[in-house]
Amino acid sequence: MNTKKDSELLLDGSQGEGGGQILRSALALSMLSGRPFRLTKIRAGRSKPGLMRQHLACVRAAALVGNAQVEGAEIGSTEIGFRPGTIRGGQFEFKVGSAGSTMLVLQTVLPALLRADAPSRISIEGGTHNMLAPTSDFIADAFLPLLARMGAQVQMTVERHGFFPAGGGLVHVEVRPGPLQPLHLHERGASTGLEAIALLRSLPQHIGERELEIAARRLPLTASARRDLSAGFGPGNALVLKASYANVTEIVVGLGEHGLSAESVAENACRELRSYLAHGAPVGEHLSDQLLLPLLLAGGGSFVTGRPSSHLETNVAVIHAFGAAQVSIAPDQGNPQQHFRVSLET
Amino acid sequence: MQIKPLVVIGFVGTVLDAATGPARWERWRPTVAIGMYEDLAVARLELLLDERRFTKLAATLRHDLAQVSPETQVQIHDFHLADPWDFEQVFAALHEFARSYPFDVEREDYLVHISTGTHVAQICWFLLTEARFFPARLLQTSPPPKQRTGDCGSYAVIDLDLARYDRIAQRFARERADTASFLKSGIATLSPAFNRMIEQIERVAVRSRAPMLLLGPTGAGKSMLARNLFELKRSRHDLKGRFVEVNCATLRGDGAGSALFGHVRGAFTGAQGERAGLLKSADGGLLFLDEIGELGLDEQAMLLRAIEDKRFPPLGGDREVSSDFQLIAGTNRDLAEAVLQGRFREDLYARLNLWTFYLPGLKERAEDIEPNLDFELERFARLNSERITFNREARERYLRFAMSVDATWPGNFRDLGASVTRMATLASQGRITVEVVDEETARLGRLWGHSRRGVAGNGHDSLLQAVLGDAIGEIDRFDRVQLCEVLRVCAAARSASDAGRTLFQASREKRTSSNDADRLRKYLKRFGLEFAQVQAAAKALPSLK
Repeated sequence: MNTKKDSELLLDGSQGEGGGQILRSALALSMLSGRPFRLTKIRAGRSKPGLMRQHLACVRAAALVGNAQVEGAEIGSTEIGFRPGTIRGGQFEFKVGSAGSTMLVLQTVLPALLRADAPSRISIEGGTHNMLAPTSDFIADAFLPLLARMGAQVQMTVERHGFFPAGGGLVHVEVRPGPLQPLHLHERGASTGLEAIALLRSLPQHIGERELEIAARRLPLTASARRDLSAGFGPGNALVLKASYANVTEIVVGLGEHGLSAESVAENACRELRSYLAHGAPVGEHLSDQLLLPLLLAGGGSFVTGRPSSHLETNVAVIHAFGAAQVSIAPDQGNPQQHFRVSLET
Repeated sequence: MQIKPLVVIGFVGTVLDAATGPARWERWRPTVAIGMYEDLAVARLELLLDERRFTKLAATLRHDLAQVSPETQVQIHDFHLADPWDFEQVFAALHEFARSYPFDVEREDYLVHISTGTHVAQICWFLLTEARFFPARLLQTSPPPKQRTGDCGSYAVIDLDLARYDRIAQRFARERADTASFLKSGIATLSPAFNRMIEQIERVAVRSRAPMLLLGPTGAGKSMLARNLFELKRSRHDLKGRFVEVNCATLRGDGAGSALFGHVRGAFTGAQGERAGLLKSADGGLLFLDEIGELGLDEQAMLLRAIEDKRFPPLGGDREVSSDFQLIAGTNRDLAEAVLQGRFREDLYARLNLWTFYLPGLKERAEDIEPNLDFELERFARLNSERITFNREARERYLRFAMSVDATWPGNFRDLGASVTRMATLASQGRITVEVVDEETARLGRLWGHSRRGVAGNGHDSLLQAVLGDAIGEIDRFDRVQLCEVLRVCAAARSASDAGRTLFQASREKRTSSNDADRLRKYLKRFGLEFAQVQAAAKALPSLK
């Protein structure tokens, strides 16, 4: 991918959004490019700086998949060194404690697994619906279909949902490595439906019903359903809103929280989806964070999104630091005030 | 990944951990919380629980911990306590557990969870951990301020090895520096008697503001000790004022009272203005009166009053001045004798004689010569910004001399300081060589000349020298000591009989009759001396009068 393959790349963990995103992007890019890196000032500005358990889970997963030597992989460590070897496919089990996100672990290792020498089957235990991470619904319905369209063969099954704080979620992902085709996602295409699903576990049904009622009042739903999850793994509630179009699907999830009424959960989720519906760009904020690495694997592509998020900008910075590709973000001609076109060229 | 796996050992809280149904996730359960902290990765959790009574609870905890912390292995130990509030029972049971548990501190890190179990259990955990039966740190988990789902509260790891805490360690270090070592100016003295005395002085200084009396020969370090005591007390906020040092030998005549107690304008001719006086300057501080035996009787009376009332009138004034100071007095005289001779007030002596410490001379603290040598070298370096070192042989040779009988050190630490300063100044390129040491020991020999062969270094051996001349070299050192004392008595006696009575007093009291004068004459004869000859020689030596 680049000439300076052996020298250790130095990255400042406090740049950009300053959290775990830069770590996950760097791990993924390092595995892909084979270039070692050293990340300093990890989560420097946070109240508990350094690596937390969920970050450590990502580092360990990457070390296994990327056959890497790792320094400083400890709780609270603010600096790690990562020296990758050959990516290997196979059977992996990853565990994320403290109900940390399984999806962030997947995000870290998936690009590498798509480039591995053999198919993989991975199981990840932990949370599937976390506050500050993509939910498994989002990955399954918004992200993976686009990846499939690019030619990737990735199957994900959610065996158990895992909600904060009890965790206990379990997902299985099968990955068949193969080349990816570039993606150009500039239009949503025709609307094919707008659904609301209320997920409930060990909680009274009326919570889901009240959420669906608000969703029906705020959004032109084409379908709505309540889904009761098997009991025994701690209470959980989520309102999943799914806006489907010919070219793209957007998922917004409102997570139930102790002390937050069902109405508030639903109102917040609806507000977020309505802003997506209003701005008209096909790629929402969270999807834009996920798409750059697949585009890189495909050797190029572009998409139109709303205002670029700090996660997206962090990803761009890390990609540039690795010299992996050129990413440009510019106002889109169709709607230069609100739309931005993100293009990646290798 | 070099970090050692973390193992937590603790009781299951049969109250705090016992919640069932989905609502249990809304409760703070300390044992489950251990698996929930995002910055605490526990490899293994050893739970102590009475399994027969709490089978269901054990199963729930196992299940929930596997969920929140899939990477944690949970082991349950059946632990039966008939009465968990019985200290002896709990201690014995935990002690037994600690002895049988296969601790592997090389490969694992241990935490003892103290937030579950009875208070008695907590105490036992603490005691057993502090005694290192559990080679562990303590883990204290605390609930969130408000019960909220998912909030696992906070935790703290407490290491009972206090040396690991910077602030505590610093405090200990400061404490140590503040006390004994501080009083010794940081010199690591070895003499056990001296070190013990310094510890006593420190204890007295910290607890009392009564006057102190420091005895000891000149140069033994009275003044430095007084200053260090002042600094110690000031650092502890016992004293706020100044350190005032006065050598009473320099206060003679009319000026003495005025210097000490101050005067008002016109108190005597030439008293143009007011003068506060040294006692007033020391208000709130420490007054060190060195050579207090030299103070005049009038001043002694005023000083006593000033100590007792903390008030005194300045010369020529009737309005009293108040001054509250800590007094330390120093002397190399025998004050008790001065009292007998009427030269020192008995009441003042009694007042000063509460805390009396004798600072031995350098000669009596031979083992402290080396640390003091290093101290003097450092002091020289500090004052002159030049680090001087001995080469090894030179250092050995100097120390051998310094600790030998030939080195009398009449000026004590002052002599040592001067000696080091001379050598350091003469050293070329910062190295004190054997040559420099040899020159210095020869110089010291000359300086101490007359006192070199003596016992007390106070001039009596000059009498020995005078009566014996060159023959002194033929007399064993063993005999010289005795002879020296005999001559001293002879010199002071009115007659041979008088001298004999003094010399043989103890045996005289036991026997009915004796001829002490004859016994003395026979003794002197052995050295070829006559009583009259000794008295004549003594008269010719002015220093003995």
